[in-house]
Amino acid sequence: MGNLSAKHIQWLKQELPALKADGIVSEDTAQAIESYYAEKTNDGLHWAVIAFAVLGSLLIGAGIILLLAHNWDELDRPVRAVLSLCPILIGSILSITALIKNGGTALRESAGIFHTLSIGATIALIGQTYHLPGNVPGFFMTWTLLALPLTFLLRSSGAALLYLALACGWSGVAQETYGQAAGFWLLILPGLARLAYLIRTDRHTPETLLNLWGMLIALCIATGMTFERTLPGLWIIAYSALLSGTGVLGIQLYNNQTGWNNPAKIFGIAGITILAYIFTFEHAWFDIGWAHMRSGWQYRAWGVWMDGGITGAFLLFWLIIALKTISQHTAETLTLSVFPLAGILCFILGSIKSTADTVNALIFNGFMLFLGIMYIGMGCRNGRLSQLNGGMAVLSLLLVTRFFDEDFGFIARGTVFIILGTCFLVVNLIMIKRRKKQEAIA
Amino acid sequence: MKKLSFIALILLIGAQLAVPVMMIKGREKILRNGELYRFLTRPIDPADPFQGRYVRLAFQNDYVPCSKDRELGLHRNQKIYALIEVGEDGFARFTSWSTEKPVKGRFLATRYLGNKSEWNRISRTSMHKGIRLDIPFDRFYMEEEKAPRAEHLVREAVSSTNCWAEVRILNGRPAIEDVYAQGQSLRELAAKNE
Repeated sequence: MGNLSAKHIQWLKQELPALKADGIVSEDTAQAIESYYAEKTNDGLHWAVIAFAVLGSLLIGAGIILLLAHNWDELDRPVRAVLSLCPILIGSILSITALIKNGGTALRESAGIFHTLSIGATIALIGQTYHLPGNVPGFFMTWTLLALPLTFLLRSSGAALLYLALACGWSGVAQETYGQAAGFWLLILPGLARLAYLIRTDRHTPETLLNLWGMLIALCIATGMTFERTLPGLWIIAYSALLSGTGVLGIQLYNNQTGWNNPAKIFGIAGITILAYIFTFEHAWFDIGWAHMRSGWQYRAWGVWMDGGITGAFLLFWLIIALKTISQHTAETLTLSVFPLAGILCFILGSIKSTADTVNALIFNGFMLFLGIMYIGMGCRNGRLSQLNGGMAVLSLLLVTRFFDEDFGFIARGTVFIILGTCFLVVNLIMIKRRKKQEAIA
Repeated sequence: MKKLSFIALILLIGAQLAVPVMMIKGREKILRNGELYRFLTRPIDPADPFQGRYVRLAFQNDYVPCSKDRELGLHRNQKIYALIEVGEDGFARFTSWSTEKPVKGRFLATRYLGNKSEWNRISRTSMHKGIRLDIPFDRFYMEEEKAPRAEHLVREAVSSTNCWAEVRILNGRPAIEDVYAQGQSLRELAAKNE
């Protein structure tokens, strides 16, 4: 059961005396109800305290970095050298306090976030004092590695999310500087291990959900960053498998939970919708496949193996999750599960036949149309407005885009729009007839 | 378990402090014992979100002269050692390179970045000058208001005078000490023109 708002608790407190007076609840029961809901309000307050502690330490840490970045050059070198160690020392004292006092979530999170930021501030200030050369990947890597143990020692989600952000940041700057960022896949392993532990312990806690959100965002960003792009179009299969596997994992782990409480499902559905939308354009399928393998000094010979390895790992993840979940036989599970199959099929088609781009685009136009209609249908059947609106949004996006799409002729677009419109009206009429029949029987 | 976590945290803090202390120690050693060189430069002013504003130093002699036809056997970003010579004008320049660390003499540990060419406006052709080096002292951090002012002043000054960086080098490792334009430290120059 979720937490109740203070407004509802207030209403309950007003109602209880009346319920007692009418003999509906006894004195003891009324007291038990009051203390139960008082706890629930405290719980809400508890999360507010954590949220403010996290925000406070995040802002102070970031503020210290900015203050130090001003560069106080009236201070001489030894003073600045000593000053540069202060952020880490303060962060360390906070972490030791949190550990010795066996502090609550607020203290652990504040210490974890501040200590993580203080490492960056210290290294940055030394770099500034001694005019160190611009080795941005080196700076990020040192910061990331020194911050990693804090996530485990303090059990801090804030520190864990900052660690993921730093690992992602490193992948971006390393790709730009060295031309490759394969090391990210080693950096992400401790984060994955921590997430697996949290899911096994209790998958429904806000801490687990927050970490899951962070990991999904990090994986999605870093896949794009680290891909070597030696084999054009391989990203289509990799992202399809990652997002489909994620969506189906959400259904398996959190069943019918929605919104914030089911990060994997929401992330997977949103990702699949965006991908399917991109694939509805013909140019997504231009020059893909092994006939267009890239080479040159900016591409590495092992790039194709790394991209293949990442894609293979995502496919394996998708296959395991999909096989486990597909037995549910729901339209949603089946649709999300088969998405990578469509991606693989179209990738092979595009690779062997350079003129397949129109066919591929049409297949995904069909997929997106089906996705929209499926969620509208599910929304109507389950009485869920969020599903109905989601389906309408997917369908509207597709139809508006195709209305203005000059790649298709006016006659083709007009004919398809009229046929689709007629189909919707016919279905609408059938549904009305059915409802009237049911009403008559009732 | 708590005791183990505490010991692990103390070890981690030790490692976290050791990294910056080693960085400080290494740079201080170079600045105290390193030999002083002057490198001709031309500063530009960008910013780093974590470390603040700095003047990026673009060095005139960031290459080792050598013939285009010479077989180098080097790959991009390979670590090499560039030998330094001080000219009659008092400015340092690189004269040759080696993949092995020199036992003695003046040298800088650096990386090979490909060929260095210069565009000749008169003949409208690209002239090969040698091999380009990664200069590991390309940032000079300044107070946020002073850095853009310094860049502006230096841009005006370099048309008539030299601008150079004073760098100390010890065992091939460099540490920048100061940057000069119009014979004055860049910091003083920027402070005077506030």
